[in-house]
Amino acid sequence: MSSGSIPPGSVVKDPGFPTKQENYLTNSKGILSWMFTLDHKRIGVMYLVGVSLAFLFAGILALLIRYHLMEPDGKLFKGANANNMYNQLFTLHGAVMVFLFIIPSIPAALGNFLVPVMLGAKDVAFPRLNLASFYLWCAGAIFFVAALFGTGLDTGWTFYTPYSTTTDTSVIAATMGAFILGFSSIFTGLNFIVTINTMRPPGMTWFRMPLFLWATYATSIIQVLATPVLGITLLLLIAERTLHIGIFDPEFNGDPVTYQHFFWFYSHPAVYIMILPAFGIISDLIAVHSHKRIFGYRFIAYSSIAIALLGFLVWGHHMFTAGMSPMTTIIFSALTFTVSVPSAIKVFNWLATMYKGSISLTTPMCFALAFIFLFTIGGLTGLHLGTLATDMHLHDTYFVVAHFHYVMVGGTLVAFLGGVFHWWPKMFGKMYSEAGGRLSSLIIFIGFNLTFLPQFVLGSRGMPRRYATYDPEFAYLHQMSTYGAMLLGIGLLTALVVLLHSLFRGKDAPANPWGAATLEWQCTSPPPFYNFERAPVVGDPYDFSKIEWDSENERYVTVEPERETVPEEKPAIQPAH
Amino acid sequence: MFANAMNLLGDLTEDYAFFPEKASTFAQDNDWLFMFITWTSVLFFVPIAGCLVWFSFKYGKPKGGKAESDVSHNTPLELAWSILPSFVLVGMFVLGAKAYLDQRSVPDGANEIGIQAFKWGWTVDYGGGVYHPELHILKDEPVKLSMRSSDVIHSLYIPAFRAKKDIVPGRYNYMWFKPTVASEKVSDEELAKALKETKDLGEEWNFDERQFTPDGYRFYDLYCTEYCGTNHSEMQTVVVVHETLEDLNAWIKKYSARPDGTTPAEYGALLYDRRGCKSCHSIDGTKMVGPSFQNLYGRQEAMVTGESFLADENYIRESILYPKAKVVAGYQPVMPSYKGQLSDDDIYSIVEWMKSISSNAAGGAEEAAKTEE
Amino acid sequence: MSTAQADPVSDDASHGEHGHDHDHPAFLAHHFDTPEQQFDSGKLGIWLFLVTEVLFFSGMFVAYAIFRNLRPDVFVGSSEFLNTKLGAINTGVLLFSSLTMAWAVRCSQTGEHKKLTGMLAATLSCSMVFLGVKAIEYSHKWGMGLLPAGTFFYDPANPHPTTDQLETLGFTSGTAFFLHNSLYFLCAPFLIVLLGVVAWLILSIVKGNKFQTACAMPLTIVCLSFFGGVGLGVILESGSEEGHGAAHDVAGHHGEGVAHSDAVPSVIDDGKVAAPALNDDASETSVLERLATDSTNTGLMSDVAARQAQASVASGAVVRGDDTNFEGGISEASANVLTQRQAGKFFSIYYCMTGVHAIHILGGIAVLVWLLIRSVRQDFNSRYFGPVDYVGLYWHLVDLIWIYLFPLLYLIR
Repeated sequence: MSSGSIPPGSVVKDPGFPTKQENYLTNSKGILSWMFTLDHKRIGVMYLVGVSLAFLFAGILALLIRYHLMEPDGKLFKGANANNMYNQLFTLHGAVMVFLFIIPSIPAALGNFLVPVMLGAKDVAFPRLNLASFYLWCAGAIFFVAALFGTGLDTGWTFYTPYSTTTDTSVIAATMGAFILGFSSIFTGLNFIVTINTMRPPGMTWFRMPLFLWATYATSIIQVLATPVLGITLLLLIAERTLHIGIFDPEFNGDPVTYQHFFWFYSHPAVYIMILPAFGIISDLIAVHSHKRIFGYRFIAYSSIAIALLGFLVWGHHMFTAGMSPMTTIIFSALTFTVSVPSAIKVFNWLATMYKGSISLTTPMCFALAFIFLFTIGGLTGLHLGTLATDMHLHDTYFVVAHFHYVMVGGTLVAFLGGVFHWWPKMFGKMYSEAGGRLSSLIIFIGFNLTFLPQFVLGSRGMPRRYATYDPEFAYLHQMSTYGAMLLGIGLLTALVVLLHSLFRGKDAPANPWGAATLEWQCTSPPPFYNFERAPVVGDPYDFSKIEWDSENERYVTVEPERETVPEEKPAIQPAH
Repeated sequence: MFANAMNLLGDLTEDYAFFPEKASTFAQDNDWLFMFITWTSVLFFVPIAGCLVWFSFKYGKPKGGKAESDVSHNTPLELAWSILPSFVLVGMFVLGAKAYLDQRSVPDGANEIGIQAFKWGWTVDYGGGVYHPELHILKDEPVKLSMRSSDVIHSLYIPAFRAKKDIVPGRYNYMWFKPTVASEKVSDEELAKALKETKDLGEEWNFDERQFTPDGYRFYDLYCTEYCGTNHSEMQTVVVVHETLEDLNAWIKKYSARPDGTTPAEYGALLYDRRGCKSCHSIDGTKMVGPSFQNLYGRQEAMVTGESFLADENYIRESILYPKAKVVAGYQPVMPSYKGQLSDDDIYSIVEWMKSISSNAAGGAEEAAKTEE
Repeated sequence: MSTAQADPVSDDASHGEHGHDHDHPAFLAHHFDTPEQQFDSGKLGIWLFLVTEVLFFSGMFVAYAIFRNLRPDVFVGSSEFLNTKLGAINTGVLLFSSLTMAWAVRCSQTGEHKKLTGMLAATLSCSMVFLGVKAIEYSHKWGMGLLPAGTFFYDPANPHPTTDQLETLGFTSGTAFFLHNSLYFLCAPFLIVLLGVVAWLILSIVKGNKFQTACAMPLTIVCLSFFGGVGLGVILESGSEEGHGAAHDVAGHHGEGVAHSDAVPSVIDDGKVAAPALNDDASETSVLERLATDSTNTGLMSDVAARQAQASVASGAVVRGDDTNFEGGISEASANVLTQRQAGKFFSIYYCMTGVHAIHILGGIAVLVWLLIRSVRQDFNSRYFGPVDYVGLYWHLVDLIWIYLFPLLYLIR
């Protein structure tokens, strides 16, 4: 490994390993030290466990859905209650995935851990609020569980009126849950905006921030601006159900389409809450594992903000068939096309970053490549849906289902997994099996495509979504999709096993296992509870020239040319303040 | 699974690989636009995916390898790839918007048909008191559907016509299309055989299996695509396109009223099938959304208010016209009113039929007579 | 403000060793470097929070705009029932509380502890007066049946029904009792709190705890203010009964319109009008009568009429007004203003907006009480006044929202 040796005559900088007292995981013990912790890293880890459990639960529901759809008349549920069971299944799958998993996954789990460390700060601006957000998340989750064990929920995750105001299932418990989760999300976003604005150490200018922070910042703007509208919408929905206020319910002269406008005013920007942090992760992953400066830093940073702002103007494209005037519909279609441009920019920039890089096909890089592949498909099929005439055919069919799964699962989930694999050594100080990680990414990639590619064809052939039973001519495409879903489940399980295995059998991780230049890799793995003893020296986050592979110790280190230093002396007299 | 995959590959060579039949004027334009977008996407996607794979191998280096280039940005290049694709997008938008406006502007002289959507079925209103769950229209004539919903949001979708529109309660919703392909008619022998089989088995007509209507027409599927509750996936009906006006009129006439020679009870059974009663009321005693019709006639029914009424002619009549006036205990007041949708004779037929499937019909009638005394 | 597991002792000790290389006073949280950074963070945080609050209310303002745009006559007509005098008094009270709040912020900066406590108590008292007046307004309307669409039962002929009459409208006896005596139910929690605070005051005086006495004294006055507000409301509400009479008269005319235009026979007694079709159910009309009118129905006549109307309105737009009555033009529609479906919606929006605003006032009261106790403890000084400043900003926003609500709801006729 000639290329990876440390040039002679240079000083190696590496923080080494943390002591037990420093390590944030071990510096205090007991369940209470976790429950009342104000340390953003511990809160991040608790979120990681929480969202993973939510994902596991909703993932099992997804497998049950696919299993039911093996046969045209339904394989899992039989009898008079079959359709009802299926409806509850897909509603809970959607609601739990969206509200409990995807929205908090990257910002709350990875973001909480990373934002202050990447920034060089000791903590987020409001640590207590941060802990409160986590407990709000838990409370929201409890409401969802209560809905499940009450009379279930069969409205679809969108709670469309007037169905949601007339069904006799636990709509109120679920909407209360979503309302509380909304506030959890608002507080997290608010915390990050303030942290990034006021807690940057000297030298950390806006354009020295890693792109993950830019993406988180853009996400937080959406969380703060859009989520309150969801809050009031859900409150009005609860009032509609209990007091019949007649705003959304046509029986009392309300207008159901108004509900849809209100709902999508939040929920479309929420799509960008889900995908923007993924863009941030991928930008960092591609640059680090290509060991090359990110191409077009400012274009990527600005496009995140552009997406955040444009995302507020396109909610109407969920309602092209719902009864807006043709003029409104056309305007929303035009705006929808504009939002696709900044997303395309990012894909080209990532490719250009890889060009002439030094690519290591590590597990996180494999996930990043899968992300670009899958997200590009998801984005391009959005064009079919943004185009008005074709949307008349495709709206509310499996084409839409496939499209948003390519973006949400192929995009966000794959980026989340890539991020978890990338920062796992930092979070827990353990290296996982590379072979196992890469295998899991391959299985996930194949399983995912097998699940959702057939659904595009199902949709363009006219199979409506949310159908518990279907016409026999759609059967074999559905079966392919089901087999794919099982493969996808196996892949995800593999990833889980690889990660959990590392906790017990993994090698201790060096401070910088990937050769990254951002600040979180300059503290030990795992970081000490105080992150940085003194404000770190902030350099270019994408300057890899000073980072060398130390093959002896299997780690990357920062090297500096040797220079003479003034002997360390303490001044005899302390200077007076 | 392998066989299925091969099946799909085999299908790709067929016309219907990606689409259902093209049976309206919209289909041609829409499919062309769909393929245009798809191929444009492929044009973008293949180089991207190609580069992805090629770069990963070409520039794959062992750990510690240095990048060959340290370029940070190239503004003209970035501007180019931001702006150039936008022209393609503008093209898609314009084509899509134009075709959309066509779909939204109803041509003059379109035939108007009323549609009532309810949980979970359709009623097509042909005028003159003729209602039927199937949509029958005329080839090469534009049709305007005026749609109403009696409960929640539904959406009418005919894949073969590439047309869809939500039906929002509290609003009138419309859509139009012009069918271009008439439905074939199966041979009389085949129809007779199918009818006989169905009758022998004592089953309902199975559209999926037969692929033609009980009148012998091939059909296009019509789905509800807005989630509307428990039996959303069963809220389907069929569209039949007739070749000639005479044929269509003959079909309408057949269903305009109780045909001569049919007893009211027989006709009531037909109405039960046709007018959506069966989606909520069973005849075998199963509790569905509404009470079962088995032995309903002549029974004392307990109401949510705590009162109790005898289910006689007047009660049934009222429940059909004003379903929310008396709600049976244990059920939600969700039934839509059939006022103005069923003629007097229809209601009479339904009552007669309900008498015929009730074991306490005779006794019930006597009891009713007693209480009136 | 240190983390639970971090050992602040050693942290402080290390500062001690380094001879306070930077100043870290007690009020400065461990993760901030300077008091300025802490203050700026808090300030940005509260501003962002206010942005979310504005967007939270904006949802309801949009709903207001949509439905007022759809039925302007309903909004103007129903607004008659809001008591402008009480609304104006509440506006004045809140404006004054904004002044005292701003003054409190100033006092905290200058370190005038006594005055700060006084100003916070004044702000709290104003908010209590506001709630007292609001309790009168709400309870008065609930008794008259000016409720959201689902439960609206106002009858111009009998604006103040008894509990028995309420029960005939389909309310349970418990609900009827509540609606009839809602003022007592609204006052009860405040009375309990007042009694609690008074008990606390007496106890603290007896025990000679000066700090607790200093806290409990202003809070007693604050709690009493609520009943001041209630008293004010009672006087003004009864004084404006004539004004209400006018509103009832307007309603009466509407009722007459209904009676004349409606084909259903209605009961007219001694000049006064009982509007029969105010409730959609119209359960008074017996079932038999309706069946009788239907016995000639072959389904054809009504069907043709409905289909003509349907064709003429089939534009994909919202059906305005009562869709069971297609022929109705705007003249006939105004007769339907005081129905459950119409006026009920105005009151729905009224209760949603003022109710959510009142919840914000309650939240403000909670944090102001917390500030008041801290001010008695003399926590704030020229270097640390952030909490007072932040709560002040929040309080101003709550006032500002009321300043929009008042004209939009009360002053539109």
